[in-house]
Amino acid sequence: MKKDFYVIALVCGTILAACFFCGCFGKEGELLVLEDSEASLEFFAMDTYMRVVAYGREDQANAAVSAAREEIYRLEKLLSTELETSEIYQVNAHGKGELSTDALSLLQRAVQLSEMTEGAFDFTVYPLMRAWGFMDGQYRVPSPSEILGLLGKTKVSGVLVDEEQGYVEFEADGMQIDLGGIAKGYAAARIMDIYREKGIANGLVSLGGNVQVLGTKPDGNLWRIGLQHPDGGKEYLGVLQAMDLAVVTSGGYERYFEQDGERYHHILDPSTGYPAESGLLSATVVSADGTLADGLSTAIFVMGKERAVAFWREHIAEFDMILYTQEEELYVTQGIVGDFSSSLLFEIISEEP
Amino acid sequence: MGIKKKDVLLAGSLLLAACLLFFVLRPKGDGGQIRITVDGKLYGTYALSGEEKIRIEQESGVNVIHIRDGAVWMEEADCPDGYCIRQGKMERRGQAIICLPHKLVVEVIGQEENENGEALDVVVQ
Ligand SMILES: [Zn+2]
Repeated sequence: MKKDFYVIALVCGTILAACFFCGCFGKEGELLVLEDSEASLEFFAMDTYMRVVAYGREDQANAAVSAAREEIYRLEKLLSTELETSEIYQVNAHGKGELSTDALSLLQRAVQLSEMTEGAFDFTVYPLMRAWGFMDGQYRVPSPSEILGLLGKTKVSGVLVDEEQGYVEFEADGMQIDLGGIAKGYAAARIMDIYREKGIANGLVSLGGNVQVLGTKPDGNLWRIGLQHPDGGKEYLGVLQAMDLAVVTSGGYERYFEQDGERYHHILDPSTGYPAESGLLSATVVSADGTLADGLSTAIFVMGKERAVAFWREHIAEFDMILYTQEEELYVTQGIVGDFSSSLLFEIISEEP
Repeated sequence: MGIKKKDVLLAGSLLLAACLLFFVLRPKGDGGQIRITVDGKLYGTYALSGEEKIRIEQESGVNVIHIRDGAVWMEEADCPDGYCIRQGKMERRGQAIICLPHKLVVEVIGQEENENGEALDVVVQ
């Protein structure tokens, strides 16, 4: 009798328990972590689509993602080249002007990055970007003489910064700057700080090509970050496992226009004024510093593989990279090889040539 | 009566059996789902395994999203840049097609697994 009871109890209990466990699955079929609740926000800002996610106590996580979105809106108002009220817009309109602490420190960061990359990162390329129509979608191929003229206004050394006065002035008429090349990376890094301040230990942001993760996943595993293949959706270049890192990809494969059978993408080589033809289809930079990763991804794309490898060997402690070339070759630097997996063959770039 | 050895044994076997059943019953990754949002608001959720054409008309313009053979792509769009069409076919969790001018996002959600059998948290694109 007693034995029968145990059997029945076992069966009923099992079914109940199984239902309970299955009930733990959300409608997306993921196991919901009971201790940590997930808060996320999706929105459009800085001309891109953004997603911010935080894990933690429900109220803290909600507060953290709200604060993250506010910070992005604040930075956008400060740095936009299109918003008349932004500090950058005003400086561009008048060739000079005052900058608040945030805009000034980001400008100085941009100057540093330009020097570090010997001009491969250039935030004064904005007049050229406009001439090509990449800012407003009115695409055109400027004449060689127009490009030559605008190259004269593309020079970081012509941006004169008075740090103490919080003042900037351009050397030549018609010069304009755009900090958009590091703004999203900076925003991602700022959000990591905000998360920490709000008591969040695990989180993730994806700001249009800029991904940055805080800590690990709530379950303690590393975040799994897929790298888009330039050919489109089906295949990945690979998967990177990461914690406390920023991962930023630059590629000319999505934003481009065609004219007379030629394809023109949106990443301009500041030394020629034409779309960079470096032999790379995509350049991904991995770094603990989100601002650096953002700026370097563009610079590395402009540099091309050979120059990028030499550059990486001088800055091994600061970043790693994943390169994909027109010849369909995949390269990964030594520092992240252990966390990178791919169904494609890839070559490891080591410290020693 | 206190807790007997038998009770502990029962509880243990229950838990074990529940775990086994859980693995048998758990939802399978059958290609996941598609979530479409317009200006941050949910427009609809669709099975990635079905076939469907979704036409979305807004003041800003028209998009036609096509789901077939476990993939989703932007078939038509009258946005000025056309980037959304170029993004090609998406089929993996975490991937998204974004039409910025129309503030339209097509996301692959659900239990989609990659070649190693593990889901991705995010895709850099
Ligand atoms: Zn579009």
